[in-house]
Parts: sequence; C-alpha cells; structure tokens
Amino acid sequence: MSKTTDDAVRQADEAARQTDDGDVPLAEGVDHQVAMVMDLNKCIGCQTCTIACKTNWTESGGREYMYWNNVETKPGAGYPRDWEEMGGGWDEDGQSRTPGQLPEQEDYGRAWEFNHEAIMYEGSDEPLRPMENADWGPNWDEDEGTGEYPNSYYFYLPRICNHCTHPSCVEACPRSAIYKREEDGIVLVDQDRCRGYRYCVEGCPYKKVFYNAQTKTSEKCIFCYPRIEGEGPEGEVRPPSCAEDCPPQLRHVGFLDDEDGPIYKLVNEYEVALRLHPEYRTEPNVYYIPPFAPPQTSESGETVDAERIPRNYLEELFGPQVNEALNTINRERDRVRQGEESELMEILSTVNNDDQYRLEVFDDGA
Amino acid sequence: MGRDADRPDAERPGDDEVDDRGIGSRELVVAAALALAVVAATAAFPAAVDARAAYEIPVEGQSSAGDLAEPTGDAWESVETVTVPLSSTGAAVPGGADTTVEFVRVGAARTDERLYLRLSWSDPTANESTGSLRAFADAAAVQLPVSSESRPPIAMGSTDERVNVWYWNAADGTESLLAGGAGSTTQMSESAVETTATHTGDRWAVVFTRPLSADRANVTDVDPDQDVNAAFAVWEGSNDERSGQKAASEWYYLSLGPAEGGPPYETVLWALAGIAVVFTTLVTVEGIRRTRGE
Ligand code: SF4
Ligand code: SF4
Repeated sequence: MSKTTDDAVRQADEAARQTDDGDVPLAEGVDHQVAMVMDLNKCIGCQTCTIACKTNWTESGGREYMYWNNVETKPGAGYPRDWEEMGGGWDEDGQSRTPGQLPEQEDYGRAWEFNHEAIMYEGSDEPLRPMENADWGPNWDEDEGTGEYPNSYYFYLPRICNHCTHPSCVEACPRSAIYKREEDGIVLVDQDRCRGYRYCVEGCPYKKVFYNAQTKTSEKCIFCYPRIEGEGPEGEVRPPSCAEDCPPQLRHVGFLDDEDGPIYKLVNEYEVALRLHPEYRTEPNVYYIPPFAPPQTSESGETVDAERIPRNYLEELFGPQVNEALNTINRERDRVRQGEESELMEILSTVNNDDQYRLEVFDDGA
Repeated sequence: MGRDADRPDAERPGDDEVDDRGIGSRELVVAAALALAVVAATAAFPAAVDARAAYEIPVEGQSSAGDLAEPTGDAWESVETVTVPLSSTGAAVPGGADTTVEFVRVGAARTDERLYLRLSWSDPTANESTGSLRAFADAAAVQLPVSSESRPPIAMGSTDERVNVWYWNAADGTESLLAGGAGSTTQMSESAVETTATHTGDRWAVVFTRPLSADRANVTDVDPDQDVNAAFAVWEGSNDERSGQKAASEWYYLSLGPAEGGPPYETVLWALAGIAVVFTTLVTVEGIRRTRGE
C-alpha cells in the first residue's frame, strides 16, 4: 500500500496539469462530476451522518448491516474490518484490476438483538446488552486509536462511496449493471440488471458496494441523487443527507469541474483536499482536508515540538501530497494570524451553506 | 484392428508392395464379401451397436408424461443418458478458469406436448443459499438457440443469433433467460420453464421441462420433428462459481428428427465402412504376399 516515487511524480504532474490549463479530467462520457470535500479537522464522530443515511436508505430489507456512510476511528480496523487489506482497485499501470476479497458478514458486524424486552417490560435488572456473543461490529474500536499516553492519537474518518472517476467496481461487473451516470458521474447499481454476482463488492477497494442477501442484488451509496435533483424534502435541491445533517457542517458538496466553486479551489488550486488511498487508482471524488492534532507533550506535560499524528501514517492514507497540503494550510493559517486575508481559510471556515453546497451551477443544460 | 497394426511384429507391407500384380486374387473377393456382410448385418440389426453419434442427445418419445417431471421418476429408467464433458469457459471474470464439475449426465424425453431434460452431476456439497454475503448457490443451465435451426456462438450467442437459457439455481429456483452475447443475459418474465431438483448422495439431479411450442417471441419453438442444438452448464456454489465462472459443454443436439437414417445411424454406417476398408486392405496385402509365395 505504500506509494512509489513514480506515483508521486505522476500524480503531481497530473495535479499541475489540472491547475495549468484549468481542465479537470472527468471520466469518459460523463458531463460533470459530483464531488465532496470533508474537513477531517471538524469531525466530532457523532455519527449523525451515519444515522441520516441509514434512516433514508438502509433501515431494513436486507440492508440492516449496511452503512453507506460510516465514520471510523483512524488508526483502526474500520468498516468492514481491515477493508484496507482486502485488495481491489487497479495495479500500478492503472490498466488491470487488482483482485479483491468478499468480506465476511462478521467483518461488517451483525445487527444484534438486544434484551430490550426483558429490561423494559419484564422487570429484569440485567444491563442492556446484545443477546448474542458480540465480539465485533462497526466502531468496535472507536476512539482507541494508537500511541502511548500522553501522546496517543486518533481522528475520525467519515466514508461514503467515492463516486470514482476510474471506478474498479464498474469495471468488475461483467453485465454492466453498475455504471457511472452521464449527467453527474454518480455511480449506481441498476437493480434490474444486477444478478448478485458480487464482483463489484470484491472490486471496490473501499468496500463501498454491499450485497443485499434478501434482494440478491448489490447496493450502494447513491449520493442522495433524488435530493440533488430536487426530489427531496419540499421539492428543493438539497445536498446529500450526510452533508446537510452534519452538526459542524464539515462537508462541501458540488462539482469538481465547477471552476468557480470551493471544491475546485480546494482540490485543484490549493491542493489541500486529498484522495484517500490514491494508490488504489480509482480516482475518488470524495476528498479530505487532512487532520491536524495538538503537538506531543512530554512526561511532565510540557508541549514539545513534535507532531502527534505521524506523517508517515498520514502519507499512508493520503499519499505524499499530504505534506504539501499540511504546509499550505499552516502557511495560510499563519497569514490569518497575522491579520492577512486568506481565501483558503475563508473557504474552510465558511458558515454559509450557499458557499458549501453548489449543486445548481450546471442546471441550465450546460 | 488398430492395435494389431501397431504391433511391431504385425505383418506390414514391404517396399516391394508397390509392384502390385496380385490384386484381384480370390482372397480379395472373399474379404470384400466379408466386409459387405458385416455392413449388411449392421444395417439389419442397428440395435446391436451403440448407435449414437457424437454430440447427440437422443430424445425418447413417451406417450404420457408419467413421472418424467421427477428427477427420480421411474420413467427416466428407460431413457438413455449421455455423459457430456464440461470445461471452464475461461470467461474474463475473476476465477473464470477455475471450475470443478467435469461431467454432466443428460437424459431427454418428450411427450406430444412437452420436452423434459434431466441433468445430473456429481456434487458432494449442496449449496442451496445465496442468503449470506459469501454464499453462492449450485446452479445448472440449458442453452438453446432462439431460432431452432441456428447454432449461435457457444458463449451466450450473439446479437444476431440469440439464445434461450433455462436456468436453475438451488437457492432461487428457475429463470428463463434471453441472451445475445456475454453479459447481455436478461430475465424473461413469466417463464414457461419448470424445474424439479433433488440432491441425493453426492449428486444433483434436475429436471427441466417446458411445452415444446413457444408461447411467444424470443422463445425457442421446439419442433418435434427437427433436431435442435443444446448446450449445458453447471456452477459449483462451494467454489464461488457464478456468471462466466462455470463448467460448460460444447453444442450438442437433441435428436428429435426422424430416428432412422438420421445422423446417428449414418455415423455407424460410415464407421463400419471404414472398418471394412481397412480389413479389405489387410486382406489384400496378405493376398499379395501369398501370391508371391513369401
Ligand atoms: S468507492 Fe468503490 S463503489 Fe464507489 S465508485 Fe469507487 S470503486 Fe466504485
Ligand atoms: S455528522 Fe459530521 S461530525 Fe458527525 S460523524 Fe458525520 S461527518 Fe463527523
């Protein structure tokens, strides 16, 4: 999973190319590409996004175990457990797919039955707990993180399907049942064409396609397309629920190719919004502002000049560009501290939803 | 005879054989007569020989269905079974070349109204669920050309020559599919295909049955007087087989056409003619040797 120098060079070149000619590469046959930027410095791990998604889309009908949006603690095994070890994606030349695994039910965790009945209605005084042996589930390792006291660390990583530009899930399906929507690049599973082969589940390195054992088809995040089409509450165009319901409003939602929008600026101009595991080469369209943490402290409680989250761990997640991204953010922060203006800091600290959610820019048939 | 000819000590024609002056001897006449007699005898008693052509699945006509719909039905006892070799299709899916089932035994019978195909194959594990994340069900399929005279590309046909697939899997039952090339398989609504399956000992047996005549477009119309091509496939669920990861046969044909003088009997005659020719040659050679007084 480590990145080669060649890779870094290629990606830097690509980024430079994007900036120079202002031309964002989109997947073939796609008019525009939806994208999301999540600022990891603001996530409080409250799981409101997870529940917003779940109540909308995955409450029942074989979807109980699915979290199209999940928030995991990093470092940690994640959801499904050890998904980063399960293969999928593309090999180094980006041409052939890397074999991937089908996770076990246990890796996702089961929807446990609790002893509510006994406690609420039968007067039992046992503690509330799952009735079966529960030894793994989503967020089982929540807030554990790693490192030694007083310098332990962790942060939260919200994850949805990345609606990738080069999606290995799409390539994996021999029936073309999973496809990238022409108008906005959203990746969808055609439920009529899907025959439940699960090649997409194996093929997605982020493990964001899920097999529904009741409908016998695969299902996934739909980027709340009815909401962005204005079919949601009150007939208005709304961002996906995970974004709109987030208490600290840490997500930007819009189009990657909207060159006046914040996403384009964060990704292509400032290059501070990064892809998770770029070495999987599916070219995700969910981007992350990497996390900062307080510096380390000595045994006696003094602040020392050492980063708490090791750089090599962040590089493992976001590639070597994370260094430049963190430098840029530091530089811009300093400018603000010195009373200067910083467009980047304004974008990252906006509280104006109209700036954060730009979903109608291409509505005039562009 | 092949074995004799291969034996080092077998009598072989010598170089001087080119100089042929002995042909037409009495021995040759005898040999020819003998060969003719064998051919004639075979013609008179065709049943004495296993008279099945390569790739033929004989279809036994039965006056009533009886218990043909049951894989264990007595009616199947009189039906000849053909052992059809299977191999992986090498389709471009992960594990496309990794299949486990090597043979399927196929029996075919018909009444005036319906066609019955019984497929059975060795499978010690009955995988009857697709109801968990990593479970794949055992499955089998019969492929027929939509247009009964055609012989489409074996891998799911093509856009011009489409195929019907009668598909059964141990978890979800029967489907009738239409395909025009790999990846194009589409489920047809209200399938007239019915299946019954049993897993006994370490074998699956599945009977597929359907009315002979097509009830609508894009369904193979089986003419009881005309052969129709058919191919077979089996998926082993415990090996995660699905989609193009399957053990499949080449095209066979269901011999529905006129029984006598059809392809199988012709094949037997040709084979016997071949034997006769070789026999004649050997006798001739022997005749030449004797004529020369060797
Ligand atoms: S994250 Fe996975 S499921 Fe989503 S588009 Fe990328 S490869 Fe496909
Ligand atoms: S709702 Fe927002 S803050 Fe809460 S877990 Fe989700 S992304 Fe993090």
